[in-house]
Amino acid sequence: MAVSSIPDARNGTAAATRGNARDRALFVNFFRRELTTRYLGSVTGLLWALLHPLALLGVYHFVFTSVFRTTGFAGQSFLAFVAVALWPWLAAQEALQRGTVSLANYAGMIRKVAFPHEIVVYASVSATLALQFAGYLAVLVVLRVFGETIHFEGLIVAIPLWVVLAIAVTGAALLLSALQVFVRDVEHVLMPVLMIFMYLTPILYPLTLVPEGLRPWVAANPFGWLVGRLRDALLEGRVSFEWMDGVAAVVALALLFAGRAVFRRLSPHFEDFV
Amino acid sequence: MTDLHGIGTRNSAPLLSLVDVGKDYAKVETRGGRLRLVFDLLRGHGAAHVFRALDGVTFDLARGESLGIVGENGAGKSTLLKIIAGVIKPTRGSVEVHGRVGALLELGSGFHPEYTGLANIDLAAALLGLAPSEIAAKRDEIIEFADLGEHIDDPIKHYSSGMVVRLGFAVATALAPDILITDEVLAVGDESFQKKCIAWIEKFLAEEGTLLLCSHSMYHIQKLCRHALWLRDGHVERYGPAADVAQAYLAYHEEKSADAKAPIAPAAASAAGVYAITSLALTPGETVAQGDTLTIRGEVFTPDGRVPVVLVGIVRADGTPVYGVATDMDGCEPRQLDLQRYAFALTLPGLALLPGKYVVRAHALDPEGVRLFDHVERPLVVRGTSRELGLVRLPHQWE
Repeated sequence: MAVSSIPDARNGTAAATRGNARDRALFVNFFRRELTTRYLGSVTGLLWALLHPLALLGVYHFVFTSVFRTTGFAGQSFLAFVAVALWPWLAAQEALQRGTVSLANYAGMIRKVAFPHEIVVYASVSATLALQFAGYLAVLVVLRVFGETIHFEGLIVAIPLWVVLAIAVTGAALLLSALQVFVRDVEHVLMPVLMIFMYLTPILYPLTLVPEGLRPWVAANPFGWLVGRLRDALLEGRVSFEWMDGVAAVVALALLFAGRAVFRRLSPHFEDFV
Repeated sequence: MTDLHGIGTRNSAPLLSLVDVGKDYAKVETRGGRLRLVFDLLRGHGAAHVFRALDGVTFDLARGESLGIVGENGAGKSTLLKIIAGVIKPTRGSVEVHGRVGALLELGSGFHPEYTGLANIDLAAALLGLAPSEIAAKRDEIIEFADLGEHIDDPIKHYSSGMVVRLGFAVATALAPDILITDEVLAVGDESFQKKCIAWIEKFLAEEGTLLLCSHSMYHIQKLCRHALWLRDGHVERYGPAADVAQAYLAYHEEKSADAKAPIAPAAASAAGVYAITSLALTPGETVAQGDTLTIRGEVFTPDGRVPVVLVGIVRADGTPVYGVATDMDGCEPRQLDLQRYAFALTLPGLALLPGKYVVRAHALDPEGVRLFDHVERPLVVRGTSRELGLVRLPHQWE
């Protein structure tokens, strides 16, 4: 079976170059559109992206320091301790949720125009992550201004970790979005699963508060590992890479390629089901 | 039936080449079925239950040779166009496209409903692989052709269907495609825009553009396309010059809507002892060219030796009467062959029937010309390239 791509497929390399340029242009178009249509429509605009995590942070602060009076944040304030971990989690969660349903928003195009469908998922995930990362930096600055100990040199480690997170989230979003086209339940199952996963991850509490017997299980959570690394870097100022960072990068890449393989298997059939 | 009619005999490679193309759609009724389908697809199997939307479609399309696609709803026309546009991959066979395809598939053809008209122009251009500088150059041209006024800044979802088509046509045409695919969209939009579209397409065709038109309008098919392809239940029923295919397709519809009436067997009629037509033949044959001389000959049986009256009529395949005449009206009599057999021959010089499918009927009547006994039918196909409308050509002249 030989299907030529559009435009010209007679000259392989020329077509590939032209195809790549087109795909990049499409990505930029979708990415920009994700940012503008998502926030232009709402009254609070771009502010909402920052407001949501801030409100959550405020509520958690109230519940955990005023109601439960939790202590033992390794000498850190609760706000800084949670903020450093909460943002990447919310970023991953939102990117997964939006990425999973992103293809439905482009249903009309998928049915009538020839283009690589995965660009839709890339644009959705990267727009969400870019926005949340900007919010993350802003919050770090605000925390520092209010006298919290934030080690900005820790970004040397934190930024590559965000990249690893982005790769893993993209892989998972590719997988879930492809499945969502055929089985609409994915979207509904994802929500509670993410909720449960969040409370099983040491985001709102330190690992040291987990009972001794359960600790290895909680520690095995890859997102828990990521959160720990971010805290080490940004709150403790430990700027050094470990061999685990490399393992994480490899695992994230494996997830990306697996997700993409599934996506590409299923995408020729999207037109009929989306 | 595949009839190449000289397509692809040029030296240059065809613009479009389909070989034995087929497309299956997965049939899933339940949620569990969808889940099983995902597993089947992931394991590299095809779907367990499929619907064959398209099968064994083969044709080449050379530059400048436009093709019309006709067929009933659900015959696979849209599937075929989507395969050529690259939106879906065929399950079987191969498709080669050597050129830029501009596709107008259904209403809205790939516009994003939330985007403004302007943003959709940029999106469509990006989809076609145009560089931003090229897009900027084309934008004004598109806006002018679509002629939407200030609505160009409104989201597409607020457009009327006519406005969407105008924008779609403006985009598809401004991007200089080698092949333009349109799927029954010309029917939408107001009269003046339709004229604009037709005028553009005629200019496009004159400049060696290639059109792939899917339409229920045989008028448009014959006017704009050199060849036509008739799809029926996913396979090619007929392929050839547009006029031939259009006539065959129209005749098929006429036959479908007409009552299927089986003529009484002549032998049975003669055994029953009634006046009967025992043979009927058309010369030069059951297919004649428009304007030829048609001769209708036959024999008639008389039970009592009296001279019967013969009535010969022509009806369209759907049963609409065209013309009928009896021997006694013209003061003629069938020629006697023996005691009970008479022969008749009716000649129609310069056959005025327009191209299409007809039925010739011969009736046997009693000598009084009152009682009509049986009738015998012969199909008649009139061939021709005339685009006149109606049943017969009337003598006419223009001032």
